[in-house]
Amino acid sequence: MAEAAPAVALLGITKRFPGLVANDSIDLDVRAGEIHALLGENGAGKSTLMNILTGIYQPDGGEIRMGGVRVRFASAADAIAAGIGMVHQHFKLIRAFTVAENIHLGWGETPFAVSAPTMEARTRALAETFGLDVRPEARVEDLSAGEQQRVEILRVLARGARVLILDEPTAVLTPGESARLLENLRAYAAAGRAVIFISHKLDEVLAVADRITVLRAGKCVATLEAAHCDKARLARLMVGRDLAPPARGRRARAVGEVLLALDGVSAQDDRGVPALRDVSLQLRAGEILAIAGVAGNGQRELTEVVTGLRRVSAGSIRLGGEAMAGCGPAAFLEAGVGHIPEDRLRTALAPSLGVAENAVLRGYFRPPCTRGGWFSPAGARGLARRIVGEAQVFVPNLRVPIRNLSGGNQQRLVARREMAVATRLLVAAYPTRGLDIGAIETLLRFIGEARDRGVGVLLISEELDEVLRVADRVAVLFKGRVMGVFPAAEADGERLGLLMGGQAEAA
Amino acid sequence: MNTLTRRGFGALALAAAAKPARANDFPAIKPEDAVIAFGHVGPVSDEGWTYTHHQGLLAVKAAFPAARYLEVESIPYSADATRTFRQFVAQGANIVFLSSEYGDLLYPVSNRAPQTAWLECDGHTMGSNHGIYYVKHWMPSYIAGVAAGLMSKSGRLGYIGSMAVPTTYAGVNAFLMGAQSVKPQATMQVILINAWFDPQGAAQAGTALIDNGADVLLGAMDEAAYLQVAEKRGVPAVMWNSDGLRKYGPKSYVTAITLDWRQFYIDQTRARLEGRWQPSKVLLGLGAGVDVAPWGDSVPDPVRRQADAVRAKMLAGWPPFVGEIRDASGRVRVAKGQTMSDDMFYACDWTIQGVSGLHAT
Amino acid sequence: MRLRRVASVGVWGIIVSRVASVVVALGIGGVAFALCGYDVGRLAGDVVSASFGNLFGIEDLGLLWSPLMLTGLAAAVALRIGLWNIGGEGQFYAGAIAATLVGLHVQAPLWVALALMAVAGFAGGAAWIAVPAAARAFWAVDEIITTLLLNFVAALLVGYLCTGPMRDPHQAVTAASAHIPYEIPPLLDDLHWGFAVSVALVGVVALLLGRSVWGYEVRVAGSNGRAAFYAGMPVRVRLMQVFLLSGGLAGVAGMLEVAGTVHRLQGGISNNFGYLGIMVAALAGASPLGVLPASLLLAVLLNAGIVLQSYGVSNYAVLALTGLVLFCAAVGERLAYLRLRPAA
Repeated sequence: MAEAAPAVALLGITKRFPGLVANDSIDLDVRAGEIHALLGENGAGKSTLMNILTGIYQPDGGEIRMGGVRVRFASAADAIAAGIGMVHQHFKLIRAFTVAENIHLGWGETPFAVSAPTMEARTRALAETFGLDVRPEARVEDLSAGEQQRVEILRVLARGARVLILDEPTAVLTPGESARLLENLRAYAAAGRAVIFISHKLDEVLAVADRITVLRAGKCVATLEAAHCDKARLARLMVGRDLAPPARGRRARAVGEVLLALDGVSAQDDRGVPALRDVSLQLRAGEILAIAGVAGNGQRELTEVVTGLRRVSAGSIRLGGEAMAGCGPAAFLEAGVGHIPEDRLRTALAPSLGVAENAVLRGYFRPPCTRGGWFSPAGARGLARRIVGEAQVFVPNLRVPIRNLSGGNQQRLVARREMAVATRLLVAAYPTRGLDIGAIETLLRFIGEARDRGVGVLLISEELDEVLRVADRVAVLFKGRVMGVFPAAEADGERLGLLMGGQAEAA
Repeated sequence: MNTLTRRGFGALALAAAAKPARANDFPAIKPEDAVIAFGHVGPVSDEGWTYTHHQGLLAVKAAFPAARYLEVESIPYSADATRTFRQFVAQGANIVFLSSEYGDLLYPVSNRAPQTAWLECDGHTMGSNHGIYYVKHWMPSYIAGVAAGLMSKSGRLGYIGSMAVPTTYAGVNAFLMGAQSVKPQATMQVILINAWFDPQGAAQAGTALIDNGADVLLGAMDEAAYLQVAEKRGVPAVMWNSDGLRKYGPKSYVTAITLDWRQFYIDQTRARLEGRWQPSKVLLGLGAGVDVAPWGDSVPDPVRRQADAVRAKMLAGWPPFVGEIRDASGRVRVAKGQTMSDDMFYACDWTIQGVSGLHAT
Repeated sequence: MRLRRVASVGVWGIIVSRVASVVVALGIGGVAFALCGYDVGRLAGDVVSASFGNLFGIEDLGLLWSPLMLTGLAAAVALRIGLWNIGGEGQFYAGAIAATLVGLHVQAPLWVALALMAVAGFAGGAAWIAVPAAARAFWAVDEIITTLLLNFVAALLVGYLCTGPMRDPHQAVTAASAHIPYEIPPLLDDLHWGFAVSVALVGVVALLLGRSVWGYEVRVAGSNGRAAFYAGMPVRVRLMQVFLLSGGLAGVAGMLEVAGTVHRLQGGISNNFGYLGIMVAALAGASPLGVLPASLLLAVLLNAGIVLQSYGVSNYAVLALTGLVLFCAAVGERLAYLRLRPAA
């Protein structure tokens, strides 16, 4: 078949940052009608490359062609006008606006005179067209991460991009939603558009992509037909070495006493709507209890009530036999509860402060951060250096504002910090989100080690693989209720999927 | 300029070791070496109080063109005033005219600059290098009060004042005494707006007074805002400071208490330059620094004649403020047959019967 | 050569950008003066010699510097926890009122009386911000509006007190309270010990914010209140404390002005120090130590204003110049993140 010019071609793209070559002469061509996956570890250069394609960065070398014609994007607006749309990993929504307002913001097709009902109706129609479940009238700040991402995707799709870039789009979607999204992407490609799909999930990539380009350390390692690939080969290309086979390693052993007991707990979300309904759960010391479920079904509220961030409206929470309902975060911290929250930059970090000040956020009130009642910057730096080292976060110095770190590095830092806090209980919400394969393995190993030390782990996750791999028991949340709790060994994807979809187990 | 600064510094150094100042601390100066300073409370463009003092400066300048002049406008009643006065000294001022009472804000500087002659308008404390001066504004106020009394149908007068200070008490009393001399039942409602220059506040006060039944407005504001209100509402108004305000309400304008500092400023400056300046307390009298402006269009001929006759009598020595005068509480302040002295007006803190909105302190 | 953004700027970068901004602003101002026909070199020389070349100038500078230091510190402290205290003016007045009441009605040895006045000044300023503080901490009411509006209430209250219950009948044109019998002893002629107190307070607050656990909590809460809550910090308590400290510092500024400089309560005593303090804090980048040079700069400009006025320059020109400095500092702050690098 005669090759038409690719929809987008990046030729020899080079981008340098001080002390770093982020993209080293990278070639990438994406044809109309194909889904092209971009694989790579954190820091491999994927984000930089996409920032160049979307006009946010100017390349130091190389050129961009669309349909064979050389283009230059002086700004993001140029790229959007040329038909390039990107769904970012970090949401770019206005939190105080409704979904409908965000969809219509800065959009040429927004009617001159708009009312809220009009915008909501238009949004609802768009959502149906693209098969994305959004509530047009809801405020973005009230949405879960998963819901927000659906808005992001809808926003770009609505603008009719010819080239659609998705940066880990399924990270916060449920399996059902992911499947539906992938279907939509295929339809989108079939309609003659090009899709660039950035992901860590090899299964997904293999399932959806036509071709796969692997980046490593700023270089293009290979571009392969998906049909000729397998997971092991891709992982090897990405990491540059063979990975140890994932250790299922759930050893038979006596779990400890009941550590955390929730009895009839109900709580409301920020809008005052019941989010947890009569939840009863028990977690034993030395056990990993995974909470599976579609984002927005009470997971956030559950993590918040067991860390003191949210009051319960009914029920009791006992930690090691002690009643904790009504206690604040300080009491939970004191009791040895570590918490890796869902939205780390919003909840667990002070963005404008330095790495050191953030690393000691949960231990600032005791030595070495204090000396004679005063805060000791030197002591804090010492502790921070250790945490940063253990987390394998590389920063030029500890004064760099934490917001300047990549999402993956922020996540590693928070995770390490909270593991140190969690002498009894670790509450981890989506702890592997945004991490590359290597880092995920390390993190899951750390969680396993914590469990082995007798720490109880409450793991919130949507990655069924992950859940089944590390958890001892699995509970499924749907609309704030516990749909069932069972040993992970008895769980399988199908059973979990049904429960996550609200289908009660046959008695 | 640098020599002047150094001189200022020298004066300070002297001051540090100075004994109490004596009269011969003010030796003669050649006009070309003299530094003459004017500190104004408002902007010279106000067409009112500060404008009249600026006219004084222009007259002094015409008389002694060789001298160096310093002029600072809008000096607030705050520590900034002290800073400004210090700056005058630092620049070597030989004589300083201040168009308002700065009191405590002035003494720390005047005490440390004994070779500078200070003149404080409406001041109340004298010092060895510190004179005070003002106008007997109660004299023309009485004449204007006569006209206002004759022109008022209801006998209810309105007064827009700044603060409860002696000038306000004196003005209110003199206006109303004049009005009551022709209309014994006349009363006066006072609204204080807590500022000498606040066009918006003055306009609001004027409107309120008219709404409340006043059919002649009087006051002591540095600008013309209540005259414009009076013009719009068709009510006669008596102004302060200068005849130049007439154009803002030609139909309503009755007259103004006009101020003329020119001769006084020239005299004081000449005395200082010739080495014979002494601190003194001066109250400029009717026809000699303070007067009524020519009558406005709204004033009928009979009123003009009657008020002019009163002025002529006063110039001939007739005392209008003769007892018995009782204050608002009924207490006798001036016994029958006695005349209310200028000093009583200058330090007045009570009102006569018929005044509302201004209370004795 | 191409311009590039860098992620973070060190302390020196900030200092260089600030100094450059001020130089640029003064340069623009100088060009404007020159176009108006002034001899800029002579004006500048006179301003410098009048500000630093004689005792009066140095005293004046100190008397302007110390209240600006404290109102700037008040605004800066609030900014560290993410609050805009626009009410420094009102708190200054409130502190002055409270200190005057104590000074007029308490009989005690000088130092005891001054200490009581200082406590009263702090309490007055803190009380004046208490309602906006509680409204912000407990009901999330925007503190910008509430603190700002209370400024007008405070100014009117001073006007009422000085013309009414507290009026000194011996004062004529100026409405003012009676003379307060306690005066802060001089440090250098008219410059009183309040200056040293102000500098000491800056040091204490800098130490508190940078080196205390309390200060760490305040900084975290200022950067992300939710993270502070997550870390177990009593965020509302810290908000209230910072508010009260901020108001109290502005109140102490009012007390020092009353007890050291003016010796009476009167309208206009605040001299806009409360509002200028916001500018100081902005110039200082909300750093307590940065408040020292920022308030000095403003003091020099205000002092220059008085010198320039005696040359017939309108005081509005000086106001415009201070605005220009702030504008340039804001631009400079952004530009500090740009670096010129050779292209590829």
